[in-house]
Amino acid sequence: MQPFSYEKVTNEHEAIERARLGNATFVAGGTTLVDLMKLNVEVPAALVDINALPLNQIEDQSDGSIRIGALVRNGDLAQDSRIQSRYRVLSQAILAGASAQLRNMATTGGNLMQRTRCYYFRDPVYPCNKRQPGAGCAAMDGYNRIHAVLGVSDKCIATHPSDMAVALVALDASVHIRGANGERAVPITEFHLLPGDTPHRETVVRPGELITYVTLPSGPFGAHSAYVKLRDRASYEFALASAAVALQVEGTTVRSARVALGGVATKPWRALQAEQVLTGSTANTAAFRNAADAALTGAVSRRYNAYKIELAKRAIVRALTDALMD
Amino acid sequence: MEAPQIGRSVHRKEGRAKVTGQALYVDDVAPAGLLHGVTVRSPTARGIIKGIHFHPTVDWDEFTIVTAADIPGVNRVKLILDDQPYLASDVVNHPEEPVLLIAHRDRARAEDARRRVTIDIEPLPAVFTIDDALARREIIWGEDNTFKRYRVNKGDVDAALAAAEIVVEGEYETGAQEQLYIEPNGMLAIADRAHGVTVWGSMQCPYYIHTALAALFGIPAQRIRVVQMETGGGFGGKEEYPSIIAGHTALLAWKSGRPVKMIYGRVEDMASTTKRHPSRTRHRTAVDRDGRLRAMDIDFIIDGGAYCTLSPVVLSRGTIHAAGPYSCPNVRVTGRAVATSAPPHGAFRGFGAPQSIFALERHMDRVAAAAGLSPEEFRRRNFISSGETLAVGQTIREPVNMPALLDRALALSHYREKRERFARENARGGKSRKGIGLASFMHGAGFTGSGEVHLRSLITVEVSREGAVRVLAASTEIGQGTNTIFSQIAADALGIDCDDIEVARPDTLDVPNSGPTVASRTCMVVGKLVETAARGIRHTLVDSGYLSVLYDREHFRAACERYVDAFGALRATSQYQPPSGVTWDDEQYVGDAYGTYAWAVYVAEVTVDLTTWETRVDDFVAVQEVGKVINPTLATGQIEGGVAQGIGWALYEDVVWREGRMANAQMTNYIMPTSMDLPSIRVYFEEVPYPNGPAGAKGIGELPMDGAAPAIFNAVADATGAHPTHLPLTPERLMSAMETIGA
Ligand SMILES: Cc1cc2nc3c(=O)[nH]c(=O)nc-3n(C[C@H](O)[C@H](O)[C@H](O)COP(=O)(O)OP(=O)(O)OC[C@H]3O[C@@H](n4cnc5c(N)ncnc54)[C@H](O)[C@@H]3O)c2cc1C
Ligand code: SF4
Repeated sequence: MQPFSYEKVTNEHEAIERARLGNATFVAGGTTLVDLMKLNVEVPAALVDINALPLNQIEDQSDGSIRIGALVRNGDLAQDSRIQSRYRVLSQAILAGASAQLRNMATTGGNLMQRTRCYYFRDPVYPCNKRQPGAGCAAMDGYNRIHAVLGVSDKCIATHPSDMAVALVALDASVHIRGANGERAVPITEFHLLPGDTPHRETVVRPGELITYVTLPSGPFGAHSAYVKLRDRASYEFALASAAVALQVEGTTVRSARVALGGVATKPWRALQAEQVLTGSTANTAAFRNAADAALTGAVSRRYNAYKIELAKRAIVRALTDALMD
Repeated sequence: MEAPQIGRSVHRKEGRAKVTGQALYVDDVAPAGLLHGVTVRSPTARGIIKGIHFHPTVDWDEFTIVTAADIPGVNRVKLILDDQPYLASDVVNHPEEPVLLIAHRDRARAEDARRRVTIDIEPLPAVFTIDDALARREIIWGEDNTFKRYRVNKGDVDAALAAAEIVVEGEYETGAQEQLYIEPNGMLAIADRAHGVTVWGSMQCPYYIHTALAALFGIPAQRIRVVQMETGGGFGGKEEYPSIIAGHTALLAWKSGRPVKMIYGRVEDMASTTKRHPSRTRHRTAVDRDGRLRAMDIDFIIDGGAYCTLSPVVLSRGTIHAAGPYSCPNVRVTGRAVATSAPPHGAFRGFGAPQSIFALERHMDRVAAAAGLSPEEFRRRNFISSGETLAVGQTIREPVNMPALLDRALALSHYREKRERFARENARGGKSRKGIGLASFMHGAGFTGSGEVHLRSLITVEVSREGAVRVLAASTEIGQGTNTIFSQIAADALGIDCDDIEVARPDTLDVPNSGPTVASRTCMVVGKLVETAARGIRHTLVDSGYLSVLYDREHFRAACERYVDAFGALRATSQYQPPSGVTWDDEQYVGDAYGTYAWAVYVAEVTVDLTTWETRVDDFVAVQEVGKVINPTLATGQIEGGVAQGIGWALYEDVVWREGRMANAQMTNYIMPTSMDLPSIRVYFEEVPYPNGPAGAKGIGELPMDGAAPAIFNAVADATGAHPTHLPLTPERLMSAMETIGA
C-alpha cells in the first residue's frame, strides 16, 4: 500500500469541495477500496472519509417511494422491515452477498461503486484496459471462466459484481448524485456504463461527485419477486450468475415483469426482451424458459465462460418459479 | 502422582497468548534501524536475463540492493539436489523467480522501488504441462525434464494382466493447491561478518534454514542462529520455502549492516511460493471373477515445477501409497517427477500420497463395478492384513483390521441404508441427486524409508533446581499442537502436571536438531524421544534415592533440588534409534517404507444440484486407527481440518495457471470452502497402541488429507452415474462428465 492522507468530513458540501482537490477518493465502508489499495490497484493520494455525513437513514417519502441514504449499511438495508415487505428482492439480493461482517460495513453508495473481481484487474502484473487504458486485456484470451457474456466489448469483459444493484435494476431505482453544480437523479439502468472503448469509465459519477441517495419508487411488484444467486461456494462469494425478478400477475397471466441479471454482464443487466416475452404470457415453466432464452439472445462467450449462458437461464427460470411460489 | 495427562484434552499451551494477542509473530517485532526488504521477480516463465534497469526517477543510493553477485557463499538452496538459486543471475526458469532484493527504511518506498526495476529478459520456450514435459520437445531440466524416477515391482504384472479376465483402466488428474496458512511468510534478520547470521521468522523447520544459511554465507554453522517466532499455520508451505526468504532477508541485512524484515503479502505468497504438486495417474488393474485383485499397474506422475527442491521425496511417498491398503500379488508402480516452468511445487500435507490415493480410490470403485461387487465388498475382499506384504516388500507386522474400520464407518454413516434409499429417490427424478461414497486408505507415519535413520533426531529434557521441566526440540508449534502434546507426554513420563512442563521456543542456539516438523513425525518420532528422555530423568531421580516410587509435585521438586545440589545439571538427551527389524534399502527401493501406518475409512454423503452442477457435502464420517490418541480435541481438530482441506481440494480450490503463473493469487478468486460449505465432520478413533510411539501414538497430521477427495468423488459417481476423474470437481467439470455419459 502506498502512503495517503486521510481526512474526515462532516457535511456534503465539505465532502464535495475536498474531493475536487487533487487525487482524492471517498471512503465509506472501505470494503472495496482498502483491498484495492493493498493490491496497488488504486493509489489515491488522499482519502476523504464520508462516514460522518448524515446520509444513513431509510425514509418514506410522501409519494410512496422510499429514500435510502448513501451511507445506509447493506446489513441495515436488508433487515429493514419496509424493504423486507415491499422490496423483498432487494433484501434477498443483499443477504446473498458477502458475509455478515462485510454487510455491516458496506454502504449503499459504495456497493454501487464497487469494482470488478476480474483476476487480471486486481493483479497489476497483468495488462488490463480498465486499470490502465490501452494496456490490453489479459482476460480476453486468458482464463475467463468468471467473465461476462452480456454487454461485453473487445476491450473488456469484466462483470459488475454487485448483487444489490441487480435488485435495484429490477425495482426501477434511481441514484441521486451531488456535485459542485448541484444534484441530479439518474435511473439505475443508466448509472453504470458499458465498457465499450473506455472500460475505465464505469459509472456516470464524475470525479468529486457524491452519491447521496437511492430512491425506490412504489411499485406493483411487492408480492412476487425473488433473487437467485449461483456461486462457487455458499458464502463470501460473488455470483457466477444471478437473477432478480419481479412479477405482477392476474390469475395465471403475467401483467408485467422485471428481469435483471448479475454475474454475467458488464453492468447490472436489465433483460428487457425477457420482460416482453413474459408480459401477457401464462405463468408456466415453458414461458419462463422462453423468457430466459430471450434474456440471453445477445450473449457472447469466450473460451471458458460459455457455461454461464445456460447457468444464467437456469437462474432466471428458478427465480421466476420462486417468485410465484410464495 | 498426577492423573495421566495423555488421553485428556488439556488446553493448548500457547492458546491463551494467541487469543489475547500476546503471542509474537515476526511482523510484531521491529528493532531500531529496521529496513524493509522486497523481492524483484521474473515476469517471464523462462529466458535469459539481458539486463536490469533502474528507473532514473528513484534515488537508488537510498536503497540497499542485492543481486546474485553479492552472495558470499553458494547461490543454491541446500536441500536435495541443490539446483535452485536464491537469486537468478543469468537465466530465469519460472515466473516470479527472485532476481533482485531491495531494502529501505520505509516499507512503501521499498514497495514503490520494486516496481521501478525492469528486468530485461529474452524469452526461451517454456513447458507448462506434464505432457509437454514428457514430450521433451524442449528440455528445461537435466537431460530429459525428469527430476526423479522410482519403480516398485512385485510379482509379474505383465503376465497377470495378460492372463486376466477383467482389466480396468483409468486416468486421473489432480490440480495444484495452495496451503493458505493464515499468516503469510515472513522473516527478520540481523547479519554481519563479526556476529554471523541470525534470523527470526515463520517456519516449520529451523534446521533446514540453519543448514541452508551456512552454505549461502559460506560460514561455519555455529555462526548461524535460527529462531522460530509464533507461526500461523504451515501445512508444508513453510517447510522448504522459508529457507529462501531467510536467505534473502539475511543477504540484505549482511549488505546493509541493519536489521531487515521481509513480510510477504498474500498475493506474493500465493503467486511465488510452493503449492501441492499437480499429478496424473494411470491405472491398469486386473481382477478375477471373485473380485480379487490380480495385478495393479500404476503410472504416477507429478509436476515438480522448475526446480527439483523436494519433489523426489514427495514422489516417493506418493509412489509407495499408490497401491493402497490392499493385498495384491503383482504390483508395478512407476513414479516420475517432471519439470515444468512453474514455481517449484513443494511440501503440502500428505506429500504426494493424497494425489496417488485419490486416483487409486476412485479407480477401485470402478474395478469393483467391473467385478460386479459393491465398493465396500470389493475392498473387504482385498484389504491387506497382518503378515501380508505391501508392494515395496514391507510385511505388515502390526495388528491391522481394515474390515473392522470399514464396518464401523458403514454403520456410523448408515451407508447401506442410504445407498439404497438414494438410488430409489434418484430414480424418481427431481432437481437433485444424492449419493454416498467411501475411501479406504493408510498413511505412513514418519520419514519415508531410511529418512529417520539419516536424520538421527535428538531432543533434550532438562530440569531446574526448582523442578521446572523444559523440553528442548526443534519441532515447531505451527497451530497443530506440538507444545501441548510434548507437555502431556513429558508430564506422564515424569508423573507430574502438564502445567509444570515448558516447551522451549525453537532456537538453534538452545535446541538440538529433532528434525523437521513434517511427515506426521512430530508426535510419534519426536514425542517418543521426549518420553524416553523424561523417563530417563525420572529413573535418575529414583535411582539417586531422592525420589520414591510414589510421589507428588512437592516431592518431585524437593528431589530435583537435592539432585541439582549434589550433582549439578539434571538433563537427559535422547536420540532416534530405528525400531528393531525395520530396514530399508535406498538402492533397491524395497523394505520397510515406514515404521508404521495409520489406517482409515472415510465416508462422504453428497447432494448434486442438477440445475447448477454444484456438489454439496452433507455428511462426513472419518474413522481411523492412529494408535493412542494423546489429546482428543487436538486430534479431532487435525482430522476436521484435514478433511476440510480435502473438501477444498476436491471441489473448490482451483489454481488458474497462466504461462506458469498463478493468475488467481488472491483469496477473492481462489475459492476455498468456508464453514458454510462444510458438513459436520464426524470423527472417530480406534486406538491400537503402537509400541514404538509415545504411549502408543502414531502420526496423524497428514492422514485426513488423503481420504476426503476420493470419498466425495465416489459419492458424486453414486449420485449421478458419471465418472468424474479430474479434481477439483467444479460445476463445469461435472457438467462435462455428465455430458460424457449422455445425461
Ligand atoms: C470478501 C468480499 C466478498 C464480497 N461479496 C460480495 C457479494 O457477494 N455481493 C456483492 O454485491 N458485493 C460483495 N462484496 C462487495 C461489497 O458489497 C462492497 O465492497 C461494498 O458494498 C462496498 O461498499 P463500501 O461502503 O465498503 O465501499 P468503499 O470501499 O468505501 O468504496 C468503494 C468505492 O465507492 C466510492 N464511494 C463510496 N461511497 C460513495 C459515495 N457516497 N459517493 C461516491 N462514491 C462513493 C469510493 O470512493 C470507492 O471508490 C464483497 C466484498 C468482499 C471484500
Ligand atoms: S476483462 Fe476488463 S477488467 Fe479484466 S483484464 Fe480485461 S480489461 Fe481488465
